[in-house]
This record gives sequence, structure tokens and C-alpha cells, in this order.
Amino acid sequence: MGTEMTSTVTITPSRAFREELTRRGGESIGRCFQCATCSSVCDLSTASSIFPRRQMLWAQWGLSDRLLNDPAIWLCHECTDCSTRCPRDARPSDMLKGARSMAIEAFGAPGFMARLVGNAATTWPILLGVPVAFWAVLVQLTVGFQVAAGPLAYNRHIPNGLIDSVFVPAVLFALVAAVSGARKAWAAWGVGAQREGTLLSGLVGVAGDVLAHRRFTGCKVAHTRRFSHSLLLWGFVAAFATTTSVATAEYVFGAEIPLAQVHPIKLLGNLSAVLLSFGLAGLWLKRMGSRELAGRSKAFDSFFLVLVVLLVASGIGAELARYALPGQLALSVYVFHLGMVLSFFLTFPFSKFAHALYRTLAMAHERLTLSRRPQ
Amino acid sequence: MDRVGVYLCTGCGIGSSLKVEGLEKLATSSGAALVVRDAQLCSEKGTAAIRKAVDDGTVNGVVVAGCSMRHKRQEFQLDASKAQVERVSLREQCTWSHPPNHEDTQLLAEDLLRMGIVKAKKMTPAKRVEEAIEQTVLVVGGGLTGLTAAQAAADLGHRVVLVEKDAVLGGYLAQVKEVVPQAPPYDRLHPSPIPELVKAVKANGAIQCLVSSTVAKISGKPGKFAVEVEGPGGVKHELMAGAVIQATGARPYDANKLPHLGYGTPNVITATELEVMLTKGELTRPSDGKAPGRIVFVQCAGSRDAAHLEYCSSECCSTSLKQVMAIHQSWPKVECAVFYKDLRAPGQAEHFYRAVQEKTGVMLARGAVESVSQAGTKLTVTVTNSLLGERLAVEADLVVLATGMVPTAADGEAIRQLRDAKKRVERNESETQRKAAEAIVTSLAQHEGTEILNLAYRQGPDLPALAYGFPDSHYICFPYETRRTGIYAAGVVRAPMDASQATEDAWGAAMKATQAIKSFGRGETVHPRSGDYALAEFFLQRCTQCKRCTEECPFGTLDEDVKGTPLYNDNRCRRCGICMGACPERLISFADYSVDAVASMVKEIEVPDELDEKPRILALLCENDAYPALDDAAMQRASWNSWVRVIPVRCLGAVNVVWINEALTRGIDGVILIGCKSGNDYQCHFIKGSELAQKRLSNMQETLTRLSLEADRLKVVELARNEMGRIPAVLDEFAKELEDLGPSPLKGF
Repeated sequence: MGTEMTSTVTITPSRAFREELTRRGGESIGRCFQCATCSSVCDLSTASSIFPRRQMLWAQWGLSDRLLNDPAIWLCHECTDCSTRCPRDARPSDMLKGARSMAIEAFGAPGFMARLVGNAATTWPILLGVPVAFWAVLVQLTVGFQVAAGPLAYNRHIPNGLIDSVFVPAVLFALVAAVSGARKAWAAWGVGAQREGTLLSGLVGVAGDVLAHRRFTGCKVAHTRRFSHSLLLWGFVAAFATTTSVATAEYVFGAEIPLAQVHPIKLLGNLSAVLLSFGLAGLWLKRMGSRELAGRSKAFDSFFLVLVVLLVASGIGAELARYALPGQLALSVYVFHLGMVLSFFLTFPFSKFAHALYRTLAMAHERLTLSRRPQ
Repeated sequence: MDRVGVYLCTGCGIGSSLKVEGLEKLATSSGAALVVRDAQLCSEKGTAAIRKAVDDGTVNGVVVAGCSMRHKRQEFQLDASKAQVERVSLREQCTWSHPPNHEDTQLLAEDLLRMGIVKAKKMTPAKRVEEAIEQTVLVVGGGLTGLTAAQAAADLGHRVVLVEKDAVLGGYLAQVKEVVPQAPPYDRLHPSPIPELVKAVKANGAIQCLVSSTVAKISGKPGKFAVEVEGPGGVKHELMAGAVIQATGARPYDANKLPHLGYGTPNVITATELEVMLTKGELTRPSDGKAPGRIVFVQCAGSRDAAHLEYCSSECCSTSLKQVMAIHQSWPKVECAVFYKDLRAPGQAEHFYRAVQEKTGVMLARGAVESVSQAGTKLTVTVTNSLLGERLAVEADLVVLATGMVPTAADGEAIRQLRDAKKRVERNESETQRKAAEAIVTSLAQHEGTEILNLAYRQGPDLPALAYGFPDSHYICFPYETRRTGIYAAGVVRAPMDASQATEDAWGAAMKATQAIKSFGRGETVHPRSGDYALAEFFLQRCTQCKRCTEECPFGTLDEDVKGTPLYNDNRCRRCGICMGACPERLISFADYSVDAVASMVKEIEVPDELDEKPRILALLCENDAYPALDDAAMQRASWNSWVRVIPVRCLGAVNVVWINEALTRGIDGVILIGCKSGNDYQCHFIKGSELAQKRLSNMQETLTRLSLEADRLKVVELARNEMGRIPAVLDEFAKELEDLGPSPLKGF
């Protein structure tokens, strides 16, 4: 080592941290003997910042602050090039995945929610069950499950006011939590870094890369993931656009809900369902096909995946149930869907979904500091 | 030999590239009693003809002019007590390496043939001395290696006497509960092999164990060592042994020399001290007897360090991993951090290393531990040169220093020097001499009383030490060999190693011992001249007691009488001829190899007149590495300057300066000596040969000046066995240098 800094770093090889990281995917980090094969195949590695070898070292040595506050862990798109090349099967990409989930928990506020989602392995029944039960009880206590004969219009049975009274606060809570997490992360990454330009200019600068998933093109072994993941991203964008459009159509233009099946907004909604379904199917198949490429799934990731599957499936299910099922059953499917939506809103700043937030931010951070990074 | 038969082989292309009639005529005119030409001399017919001529007494010296002496050895082997064979390499030296049917190639062949014939004439029949040999193997040291060697030697059919200085057998590992795995899958601890081994050795009727005993004296020669063992209460016990295995082990490096690593503070212990704790099943902090929360292991504590042990002890990493595993199993809450320069887990221990890596609560990190300091009950370990590029500090409750191993071997040569110096102090012949001797006594004081084998050898009472005090003699090609024939070092006394390597080592040494005993029984020496039974002969009437032979023999073969006359111990001799090269009186010779024989060969080189523009170069090539390398070059059809005349020598140390003198005064333009590498990583098969040649030849430069010759006419080159690509270039380069110097001014005198 050439330059030895005069400062001394006290390291605490904490067993608790290592065990936590192990639970979240880093169970093989002990195997790393620092050969740097991972860094030689990783596009993110630069002469002054050996990635992910250095991160493996932090993980092994329990330097949790450095690891979790490192923006570079977010720049990793888990292409698994490092893990497939690693001669000791230390799986750096799995460690990074675990580190990201721990960082989401560390940045997340309120802390109890972050911990609740962080420990999805044991708390998943609460995370999924409570919102569904909440909606079931709410519907039972207010409008009841008794429905009139004929095709069911959900908004006629459950008034918008009731829906909004739950989701508006839920969304606000999620937004506040997300912004709070983002501020923490942005502050943590800013220590010792010189950013040139505003956050907005950074976000604008990377928007193209994010939407086109350009960073995935560097992946060698898991290159097909780009397509499925893009579908998922655009599916979420379309779903978000649908919700916004429906609200606008109803409240601003007074459109009659439910919209006709051929209405453009309805088509957009259905398109989002299709995109999400294919995206999910693609990722799921990949996961089933090769452990090597997909990395080890841990409860944290699985929880989010299951939630999205249930969300999409119950959404499509509710749409079809209107025509196919007796009213009461259809309503149950809809209520279940509402539960999933609630669960999604309440957990997304703390679940794997938050990677969309932190990764985008990290890319903006990188863009703003890039001029200082030797290429 | 008075009746020399010359057998010319014309196979392998020799016949078509040389004028064989010319060679036949030359043989006849050189006094051959019989000249035979054969198209394939190595065939059954060809060799049968040679044997018949020997059997019916037609010839008693045989010159085989064909392939190199390194080929067809068995075909041309004769009973050296009846007839001696000299091989002339027409194939490698002429046909394969020089243009066919060329005048220079023919001249070369003629020179080589004349040299071969004269050598055959100068040889005498060898006498095979066969005598009854002791079959007993003496094993010194009752640790893992000693016990295994004893058992191995017993399995090989020998009676074994095992001498152990402690009251119990088992050595270092007796105090160890579990060892690094020695069998697949190599991922878990194994119980110490010692209890089983001790039981087996004690139950073996062929093994006699003498505990609480030391070796008081070993005299005589291999095959017939007279051994005196001193038992409890000073009781002497005498026995005879054919060979000795020294397995006296190693001891841990003295941690008191490592205050910077905190040794001396109560919670800094050595790996050995931790071993005792683990065996007792008590893992505590010595300062207060409490259980430690975090243990830091410091690898290379005083190893690979110029101020302490310069070498890697090769097993400390595995041992630390083993201790970490043991702690992890019995005290799973204790955190272990291991700091290493390089984690070296040789052999199968790599699998074990992987198994330890998997454990949570274990941190294996690269970094050099700079210091260990104490504050209250906590220790702080400071680490530099980490992969983070930052100085690290780790808190610990207990620090374990993985110290290296120091061989128990006594340095026989140093002890000898110490004793000599002491004698000079006593004699007090002059003030200056006494002071110089006293300085030696002070500098070698640490060797006082370190004797182990107590050899009654002129060169000292123990094996000479090689690198770092380990007594191995030739670790590259011949492990277990020492510089005392018939005495084999095994286990950690020979080189740092782990238990599984030591077990293998013990077997190796036992096999060497049995091989030696069998060879001595046939009157033969052991490697690298295995099978050679021609003894060195001393014409002592001319001896001036200069002691060069007794000093320079690498194997301690020669003792001295009071006057300093050499006393030869035949079985100790490896027939290298270094004494022959050393002797200024040229009174040492072998039946098949002598100063006179080689000098006569030099005389047979025809030195053309200056006007012929045919310079001549004498190349003395060590037959262990340089000569085979040249053979290989020829086999690849490389060619070299045809002025060169090669004479193989047993070792560069066997080169007597008379030969060089002879060559230069005859007008030969230059002499080149090519031998094995000297220095720390020497490859000389007789250990000191190349080194001695360098020394002697630097003295030779004076002679050159006296002859008014340029010093550059004499050159020594060291070269490895695999440098066949380089050796022709070395010869050509020397020829070029000589051409630049111009012809020798001594031509025609």
C-alpha cells in the first residue's frame, strides 16, 4: 500500500453486523481473500476506488457505517459479473444486495416501520395481513359487503371519500418517509464529497439513463434482465399515470367511473397490468432458471416481489371479478386489492422498492461528483 | 589399464559424419590393443563382444566411442574390478553438434578419442570393499517425526533405537489436543495422532525406546556408527547403528524478543501458550481469569522479519486457523480476528482455511501488526499496510502471537570453530592471536553446550547448518540429505513444516536410511554417485599436513591424526573428488579418476600452431548439471564453437588447478569451467564445489599473471541443469572473447 494515512481507524469486527448481513445475502463474504477479480470485471471500479473489493473488506471487518453510507453500493445494478467470476464463490453482488437492504433500513424513518419491513422474514404476515384486515373491517363497518345484483361498480359501493380518506394520508406518509430517507442518504453521501450543481440538475442528468435502463447494458452475464426490469419500471410508471389520470378525469372533468373498457385511461391501466405481469414473469423465470445469475433471494427481496405479484394479480383479478364472480366475492377481491395497495404505499419507502429512490439519487450524486473521479 | 580396447560405434549418424578409418588408425597409433568398429555398439551383439574381450583377458580397459556417458549406461557397464570403461561422446560432442565431414569436426573427434584412450590407460581396477553393516537405525528425537520414522524404519525391516531426551514420548504435539486435519475432507479438527503413535511404537518389538536419554557420542562411519547414549543418572549405553535419523524438532521463537507486540503484558500470549489452554479446556484472560470477548491473532510474530526470523515457518497460519476453529467450536461467542502478512495454508490446509472462512465471528484480514498496547484490561492492536490503506486499531481481550519455529539443530561447524578458538585462547601463543580467538569465543558463545549428536568428526560434533540454521543439505534435489553421509534430518529440524509434511518427511528419511545401509553393505556410496565403489586413495608419504582436504570435504569424511594427516572414513565419502581438487600435492586419487588421468587428457589435446588459426579451448564441465545440459543442447541439434574440448568433471570442486596450468602452458587459448550454482540457493550436488572452485580460481589469476597471460583466459560460469538453451551461447561467447584477445602467447613453447 502506497499511502498510509496518519489517522487510525478503529475497527470493530462486529459479529452482530456480520450475522445481519449474512441473513440478508452476505453469507459468503468470509470466503473473500481480496484477490480483486470482482473489481477487475466491474465497470464501477476505478483506480482510486476499487469496487467491490473494498466494500467486501468493509463488510468483513464490520465497518458498517462506511458500507451503508457508500453511494457506490447503489450504483451496482446486480449484474452478478463479480459473483460469477469470483474464484472463491464469495458472491460480492449478494453482499451488496444485503448491504442495500440494510442501508434502506438505516436511512428509513420512522425507524419502527423501517425495522418492520427490514425484518420481512418474520413480519410479512403483519405487513400483508394488517392492511387487508383494516380494509375488510372498514368496509364491513361502513358500507358492508352486501351488494346489489348486477355488474358491480366498486366506486358506487365504496365511495371515493372513503378510499381517499385512507389513501391520501397513506400516500402523504409514504412521501414524507421517502423524502426523509432521501435527505438522510444525500447528507450521508455528501460527507467528504464535493458535489457540483443542484440535486435537480443531477436528477435531470440521469433521468435518461434511468428510464432507458442504460446502466444495465454494461452487464455481461445477466444482460437479459434489462428487458424485464424495464417492463417493470414502465409498468409502474403507467400504473402511476393511470391513477393520476383517473383522479383527474373524475374530479376535474367529472367523468363517470368505471370508465368504459375502450377508454384510453382504461387502456393505459390495462397496459400497465400487462407490462407489470410480463416484467414480473421475466424476472421470476430468470430467478428460477439460475441461482448464479439471479443471486440469492432473501426475505427482504421476496417480500417486495410477492407484494407486487399480489398487487398486480388482485388488480387484474378485481377487474375481471366484476364480470365473472358474484358481487360479494368480487367485492372481496377488490377489498383484498385495496389492502395490497395500502401495504404497498406504507412499505415502499422501506422495501426493496426504495432502491428506485436511492439508486436514482446515487446516480445523481455520482453525476455531480463525477468530475472528480478519475476515469 | 594396460590393454585398452577401442570400440567405435558408427550408429546414430556418427559413421556418416566422421572419417572412421582415420579414427581407427589414430586408436591403433595411440596404443590400443584392439580396435573394433560396430554399426550399433549398444546392441546385444556389440556389448557381448565387449564382455567377451574382457572375460578372455584381451582387454581390461574399454573405450566406448559413441554416445554420451549419460546414455546406455547399463549396456556398457562392466565390472570395474576387472575392466574400466571410458566413454567418448562422439555423438553429442561431434556428430549432433558440429558440421558433418568437416575438418574441425574430425579434429575434435580425434582429440576426444585420444583423451579417452589415455584416460582408460590411466585407470586402475577398482576394489569393492564389502563388509558386514549394522542394520540398526538410530532415531534421535521422539516427537511426531521421530516416532513415525522409527515405525517406518521398523516396517522396512530394521531394528530401531529411539533416543528421547524427555521422560515421555510425543514431543511438541504431545501437549496438543487437536491438529490441522490430515485426511479428507480437511475441514474439521483431527485428534492429535501422538497417543496412537506412541502406543504403536511402544508395542513394536523392533523398536527400543530410550527416554530421558541423550546421545553422548557417535563415532566411526555410516554403516558402522558406534553410538554412546547417556541415560538417566548418567548411565552410559553403547550400541552400533548403520544410519541415523535426526528428528529433534524445533522450538518456538522466543517471544520475549517481541516486546513491540506486547509480549510481557499478561494478556498477550504465544500460540503455544494458547495451545495449553485449549488442551485444558480453559479459555481465559490471564490478567483476571475472565473469558475473553475478542481474541486477535498476530501472524508472522517475529517471522519474515529481518530483525527476527527471516523465513516463513509455514505452519503457523494453519495452526492459528486450527486454534480459531477450536475456539469457534467450544466458545462460539468469542470473536477471533487474524491479521496476516499473507495467509499461507500449504497443501490440503487450503480446504481447512476455507472452512474457517465460513465461520461468523471470525475475521481474517491482511495487515502488518505494528504494535500491541495495553490500556486497562483492554489491548489495542495497531495494524498497518492493510488493504484499506489506513492504519487500523482493533481492541482485544487476548492477543495470540503466532511465533515461528527455530530448529533445534546445533551448528556443528560453529561449535568446531568455538572449540578451536577456545584452544587457541588456552595456548595463548601471542597477544594478538589470543585476542582474535577471544573475539571468536564471544561471537559464538550461543553455541556453547548445544551439541545434540556429538559426532566424533573433525569438522564438528553436529550437522553443518545451512540457511537459517536448518541442516538440510540440498533441499531442491535431495531432501533429507545432510552434509553427513548416513545421517538424515527429518521434520521441523530440517525445514519448517506442518504435521502432515513431517509425517511424510519421517518416511522419506527412513527410506533414505535403509537405502544408505543397503548401499554401504555393497561397499557403494549414496547419491549422487550411487553405485560408485571406487574409494579415494591417499599416497600419504607425500602429505604435508596442509589440512586442505580435511577442511574442504563437504561431508566431513576425513578426520585427522594428531599431526594433521588425513584419516579416511570410507562410507562417509561421496566420491566427489573435492579433496582431489584441493590437494596441492596431488596425492589423492580414485581408481577411475585422478589428477594425473585428467592432466594426461589435457596433454592429448592437439594445439595447432598459431598460424593455423585454430584456437583451442578447454571446457571443464560439471557432470551433474552442465554436462547433461550440453548433452540436451546437442540433442536439440544446437551447435557451438568447434575449438572447444570438453572434459567432464565430477564437480567443479574436484578441479585441480594443475589441469588449468597444464592447459594454459601448452598454449591452449582459454579454460572455461561450467558448474552448478553456488550461493544461498546453491544447486551444487556436493554443496560447496562451485564455491570452492570460485575461490581457488581467484587465486589462480596470480598464476596467469606470472605466465604473462590475460586473466580473461580463465572463466567460471554457473548454470542450472535446465539451461540447455544457454550453454552453447556461453561457449561461443567465450570463444569470441578469446578471439578478441588473440592467440595464446604460450603456443609453441
